[in-house]
Amino acid sequence: MAHSIADEYNLKTGEPVADGHHHDVLFALYDDEEKLMAAVKEANSRHLHIMEVYTPFPVHGLDPLLGFEESRLHQAGFVYGALGTLTAFGFMTWVFTRDWPIIFGGKPYWSVPAFIPITFELTVLFAAVGMVVTFYIICGLGPGAEPIRLHDRITDDKFCIAFDLNHGGDDEDSIRDFFSATGAESVHRKLV
Amino acid sequence: MENYVFSSRAKGVTGGMMILGLICLIWTYLTGSHEDHHMRFWTNFLHNATFFLGIAFMAGFVLAAFTTAYAGWFVQFKRVWEAYSLWLLPSLFLMGVLIVGLWLHSHHLYHWNDASAVEGDEILTHKSSFLNKYWYTFGTIIFVGAWYFFISKMRSLSVDEDHNGTEAYAQHRSYKKYAAIFLPIAGFTSAALIWQWIMSLDSHWYSTMFAWYATASWFCAMMALTIMMLIYLKSRGYFQSVTAEHFHDLGKYLFAISIFWTYLWFSQYMLIWYGNVGEETIYFRERLDNYQALFYINLVINFLLPFLILMRNDTKRKYGTLFFACVIVLFGHWLDFFMMIKPAALRTVIELEEGHGHGDDHGEQHGANESSDIYHLTSLEVDQHDHDQAGHDNHDGADGDLDHAGDDADAMHNHDGDNHHDGESGDHAGMAGDHGHGDHDGGAHDIEHSADAGGHHAFPERYIESRAGYMLPGFLEIGTFLGFLGGFLFFSLSTLSKAPLEPRNDPYMDESKHHHT
Repeated sequence: MAHSIADEYNLKTGEPVADGHHHDVLFALYDDEEKLMAAVKEANSRHLHIMEVYTPFPVHGLDPLLGFEESRLHQAGFVYGALGTLTAFGFMTWVFTRDWPIIFGGKPYWSVPAFIPITFELTVLFAAVGMVVTFYIICGLGPGAEPIRLHDRITDDKFCIAFDLNHGGDDEDSIRDFFSATGAESVHRKLV
Repeated sequence: MENYVFSSRAKGVTGGMMILGLICLIWTYLTGSHEDHHMRFWTNFLHNATFFLGIAFMAGFVLAAFTTAYAGWFVQFKRVWEAYSLWLLPSLFLMGVLIVGLWLHSHHLYHWNDASAVEGDEILTHKSSFLNKYWYTFGTIIFVGAWYFFISKMRSLSVDEDHNGTEAYAQHRSYKKYAAIFLPIAGFTSAALIWQWIMSLDSHWYSTMFAWYATASWFCAMMALTIMMLIYLKSRGYFQSVTAEHFHDLGKYLFAISIFWTYLWFSQYMLIWYGNVGEETIYFRERLDNYQALFYINLVINFLLPFLILMRNDTKRKYGTLFFACVIVLFGHWLDFFMMIKPAALRTVIELEEGHGHGDDHGEQHGANESSDIYHLTSLEVDQHDHDQAGHDNHDGADGDLDHAGDDADAMHNHDGDNHHDGESGDHAGMAGDHGHGDHDGGAHDIEHSADAGGHHAFPERYIESRAGYMLPGFLEIGTFLGFLGGFLFFSLSTLSKAPLEPRNDPYMDESKHHHT
């Protein structure tokens, strides 16, 4: 999932957590998104603390179950877009009215209709690039980042629920109990 | 799911709207003058008939498009679009009224329907193979009839599926075939009909983007009306499994198509503005000079407001804001059609009034005048520069044969040059002089005419005085709109009550019920 998680679970960078400990991760694979959704609901009702859920594709309705708040990325996108609008329109206005006025096709210097396509393009460009960069920073992605892979098939066809045994606050037995009760295909343990 | 019950209250409200509309139409007719062939009545009729016909058409079009694209999310409420699209049949009768009016010359909506005008006008003569009453009549009947054929076929298959549907989904397969065949036919024929019905009101003008632009307008209006209908039906306790997820997607369509409409509106404007060809700029010159308020209001309520309101995630999921945005958009696109239709009509009215007593051919000067330099969309500052050049060029071309034009392109040029010449002197007499030069009758007539026109509305005068029902929608226009809306809703609701509100046995029903954005 694309969302950031709390710093203590900063698994995505592959970095050890601040206190120098590795995560002792207990995770299970499910073969179906319906089973996964049911399992997450079950975990919530058992008050287990899921560290993270990994899926091969975005699963609708998972975010609210995991307690994620709505991303504010699009608000940043609006700001970037507005910045692009102002940059493009302001720059062209400055160039064609102050810096280097040129008559094109008998049109006035400040030809608003002619500015609109470029303003539009820069708005889109700023919003898109700005959001991608912000997204990478939030998620700790970017050049050189080592993604952690609990299991290869998570990127293929398996759905994974992971618990942190050190920091999660749930004991191993209750987690294993939960896995078998919700029809997990296989259970694994890995130090990352 | 049970059938919709058309409550007597809903019947009363929609029936009342219809009566109001009828009163407004009759009132408009009775207060109209014979001189302009009851132009206000006929434009109101054309405006609303084509607007709601387009909504019906687009409802059928999205049904076909979504089905062809294997979409399933809309299936729960597809009966609403089916009901909307069947309005094509009443629409065909409404268009029939216009066709009868065309043959009997009861209206003077279309310049090209005036034989004497076409005769003396190179452009209209050239266009007469398409802009003629035969094309108008048979195009409308055959094309709208074909749409109705496909749509009613799809409807009957959909209803049949309710009763006889099996796991083989025979009806759905057949439905998909009709939908796929309908799409290309609808795409091409709708453009031809829009040119005939609406674009040819400005009979000398043309824009290759017009069909897309008008269709996008219909699409927005249709989406707005669909959302409002669904919110209404939900508030009456129907469609319990149509959730915020569906409204979110419908809202996205409203948002996206509003932006698409703006894109087309702007592209049409910018290309014409940039090209600065007189015969094209006439359309915007007219609207920018005489309809300034509406021109910008149109952009604000059809682009800015839906853009800002619907941009947020949550506004598409809240029925209150969504409904509010829909009211704005529906009215906004009605206003957009107003802007397409009325300015051309008012110009015809003025010409008819001026030509009164001189015979019918007096409305016909604007062929050549449309290319006059004063219709160029350029600001004054740089204008002068432009004129000098253009005037010079054209003058060369016009040398020698001012009054005898060979082909139509030449004719445009000649008069262009002529006008530039007069226009540069800048005085009123010069402008009035232009008035006469447009027609090909010869000098004596010109002088007579310009003397006559010099008084008040000489044609090339940019600014025309405000008139009720043309410059802004008056009460009669709003009333007529409500009347047609009432008729449309009455028809849709009664169609909805004739079949189960939610389809049974549709292969995509489950997908629709579990739709999640």
